[in-house]
Amino acid sequence: MKGTRVTPVLDVRGLAKSFTLHGIGGRVVHAFSGVDFTVAPGELVALAGRSGAGKSSVIKAVYRTYRPTAGTVMFAPATGEPVDLAALPDADVADLREREIGYVSQFLRAEPRRGVLDVVARAGVRRGMEPGRAREAAADVLAALRLDRELWQTYPTLLSGGEQQRVNLASALLAPPRLLLLDEPVSALDPANREAVLSMISALVAGGTAVLTILHDHDAIRRLANQVVLMADGRVVDAGDPAEVLAEVAP
Amino acid sequence: MSGAQEAALRVEGLGKIFGPGCPECVAATGPELARELCAVCGSIVACWDVGFEVAAGESLGIVGESGSGKSTALRCLAGDQAPTAGHAYVRSVEGGTADLFTLPAADRRRVGVEDVGMVYQDPAEGLSLDITAGGNVVDRLAAAGWRHFGRMRERLLELLSRTEVPAERVDHVVRTFSGGMRQRVQIAKVLANRPGVLLLDEPTTGLDASVAAGVLDLIRDLQEELDLAVVVVSHDFRVIEMLTRRVLVMQHGRVVEQGLTDQLLEDPQHPYSQRLVAAAR
Repeated sequence: MKGTRVTPVLDVRGLAKSFTLHGIGGRVVHAFSGVDFTVAPGELVALAGRSGAGKSSVIKAVYRTYRPTAGTVMFAPATGEPVDLAALPDADVADLREREIGYVSQFLRAEPRRGVLDVVARAGVRRGMEPGRAREAAADVLAALRLDRELWQTYPTLLSGGEQQRVNLASALLAPPRLLLLDEPVSALDPANREAVLSMISALVAGGTAVLTILHDHDAIRRLANQVVLMADGRVVDAGDPAEVLAEVAP
Repeated sequence: MSGAQEAALRVEGLGKIFGPGCPECVAATGPELARELCAVCGSIVACWDVGFEVAAGESLGIVGESGSGKSTALRCLAGDQAPTAGHAYVRSVEGGTADLFTLPAADRRRVGVEDVGMVYQDPAEGLSLDITAGGNVVDRLAAAGWRHFGRMRERLLELLSRTEVPAERVDHVVRTFSGGMRQRVQIAKVLANRPGVLLLDEPTTGLDASVAAGVLDLIRDLQEELDLAVVVVSHDFRVIEMLTRRVLVMQHGRVVEQGLTDQLLEDPQHPYSQRLVAAAR
């Protein structure tokens, strides 16, 4: 709900990432810096901006695929005190990823040589669902995402980009994590499938999940986002209410 | 936050020096000097100050080029090499209070039979090629005190079925098996007594791609089913990516970086890790 802020699930302060490339004389490449935002339970925050602005890098730094160079990434787990993901031991980050933090990249992340239904069901089992129940739930979510039933037993590597994207999403949506990170969740989808995915994300947020997502489409941002963080050249150039922020940006 | 789960395997300060060793060995070797050979006494510091923890159901990769010390570290844990320094604790051995490296020899051997299993790149190291598949597995059961023939046969068939070794080959000599099938027999043998810790040294190196894929899938499934703590040494990043959540990078006998597997692949920090990842992609 806008205005009344409860304790955020994610509180990012002064986050920065640069890469030191030892192979080419220690050259330093700056991805982004000075990034601040919070995501509360039941809130969707959209990262917007042109390609190369640093949006995907921010998501990867939150998930710890990138080691942040500076800043804090405070995550409030279901129980206990908030922890700084930027400094948390690897094993603890790995545990949180299994149980509480989901990440859906633009690209296929599924394990090789495992059927679609199996891939999705296993994500549920990892988050504590009983295996039989996980398979039923996986079938439900794949159906809701309109993935052709004939594909459920095939390997995800054989699917099209849009189909793979929905398999990735299905794994995340099955047992909703406390925090869900989405990197362009609808980029490869046709309008009907895009609509199905957006409404599932919307339902997930209504159910209390905190979502940080990269979205390009202004209509989708207006519909789903509580806040938008607009980035350019590795910096936050504007942030706040979607209607206000987007009013000043060419679509 | 519950904190890290209690470790199934905990290793501290593991070191192995081949040769007489001298007070200068450690300072005279390592990544900064780009050498493992001590210039003072001629000893090889194969690995030094290696430490990590692995929880049940978790897997850790160790990567590095040949000679980085990764296999030596694993062999010390398997009991094949006597370490020069360090401690290792396994939860199933006296509740994780006993240092494996100071156990009496007979107890140390029993750990290798019951608690910590090692799968070698070369099946000839883990199996007797001139006895049957069944004989290899039954030997391991007998070493753990199994005596009842019927029960041993039952457990043997269960293990071979789970590792997808055809039952009709149980009485064939292992030397007649293909490479992939030998690895499956080795895995059946190693898991015979339900160890909590599984060590894998390049388990698929040398196998055809499709055969390697089948063995990897088997290891992955077994790890989940049996809640194994796994340490896998490999120079193949596809193996590491598929099997592990966390990784250590070793160079010249030392750990130069540790991280989450995806972080190591996408954002390697150490110059050596960056070279290694760049070469693999």
